[in-house]
Amino acid sequence: MTWTDEDLVARSKGGDLDSFNQLVLRWERPIYAFAYRVIGREEDARDVCQETFLRAFRSLSGFRGQAKFSSWLYQIAMNLCRDWIRRQRRARTVPLAEGVDPAELAAEQGPVESIEDLVSRRELSAVVEEAMALLPEDQRTAIVLKEYHGMTFQEIADLQGCPLSTVKTRLYQGLTVLRRHLERQGRTPRLVPQLVKRI
Amino acid sequence: MSDTFQCGDNTALVGYLYDECEPAERTAITAHVTLCAACAAELAALESARLQLASWTPPEADLGFQVVGADVGVHDSGRGPLTSIGAWASGLRPGAFTRSGAWGSQPLPVWAQAAAACLIFAVGLWLGVVRGSTPDASPEVAPAAASRAELAALDHRLSAEMAELRTATAATAAAPQGISEAQMLARMSALLEESERRQQRELALRTAQVARDFDSQRQTDLAQIQRNLGQIEGLTGAEVREQRQILDYLMRVSEQR
Repeated sequence: MTWTDEDLVARSKGGDLDSFNQLVLRWERPIYAFAYRVIGREEDARDVCQETFLRAFRSLSGFRGQAKFSSWLYQIAMNLCRDWIRRQRRARTVPLAEGVDPAELAAEQGPVESIEDLVSRRELSAVVEEAMALLPEDQRTAIVLKEYHGMTFQEIADLQGCPLSTVKTRLYQGLTVLRRHLERQGRTPRLVPQLVKRI
Repeated sequence: MSDTFQCGDNTALVGYLYDECEPAERTAITAHVTLCAACAAELAALESARLQLASWTPPEADLGFQVVGADVGVHDSGRGPLTSIGAWASGLRPGAFTRSGAWGSQPLPVWAQAAAACLIFAVGLWLGVVRGSTPDASPEVAPAAASRAELAALDHRLSAEMAELRTATAATAAAPQGISEAQMLARMSALLEESERRQQRELALRTAQVARDFDSQRQTDLAQIQRNLGQIEGLTGAEVREQRQILDYLMRVSEQR
């Protein structure tokens, strides 16, 4: 039987550690991915992830279920990321991408994707990561929450504590900066077939 | 939401892009972009940027966090929110939050680490003293042979104390989680005091032994020096006698000539 987050939270509050560990197992990857994309450092993202669950565990009794458990977790993680960024004093947040190793890529090659495609995707991933590092933290976080965690504008607004229109503005500005950076890097945007059809 | 769209309203385009706008607004924007090349291009460019974002994947990480006990301490609340894994894990009580695989299932408590550090220090001190006072394998130094027996006894005693400490550590680690902070601190203080006393005892013993070794070595060296001086004196006397004999011989030969 698959328990919902709410069920597991209730059981965790009753002292059931296994239930909390199920929540950890369920959410550690998304929280880690979120932290990594916001702060851009693998080890620190892992620390943020760990600290997020530690704080959640300690504050579980204070969680009344006004928001979804996942939103609460993201809120904690976002605050931790902000603290981290503040401490870094807005220094470079994302290390430059390392060179692509064809042997490694060949070893990781999937059954469908060719090496050329994989190299191209890796390179694009590095360029995107670099471009994301250029964005202000608010815009970066909004894009990450929207693009990779599928949150609604309202959920992002609640998390970021800003009006819904501000979220849209952040997304627009962030996407525009990204697009320009990608163009400068020779990643000319392609017209999207679905969109062309739609237009 | 309005059911009309004004050209250049980028936030409305974002709502359209993410499919989070009212149906009426959606219809209005759809109608607009079929006529307005600028808005259509803007929308296409945003969509393209979104597609490229999809290629960004974070590296694989070894996570596997687990709560291994309910006693997640509040003692680190004053600590900065982010520290390294190592520092973070070492600051936890047994049975706190840890990452499986990276560390043992239950990190040693602080007091046990402090006691272990003291013990290591004491053993290191003992080894240093032993190495520093080892004689040059001279069979004439009788007191050193006596101290080896003492050292063997000391070694035996230290081993016993280490075993005792290990037992105490295990017993305390197995103690119920309900031990209060004050009790834990008192126990830690007692262990530290005991360790300090033990170190002082060992230090006094080692100091006395070093003094004894030094004295005996000094006496041996003095005796050796006296023997050497005597030999030198004897050799010198023989050489003088020999030279006198040569001189006498030369005098006799010269007188005969």
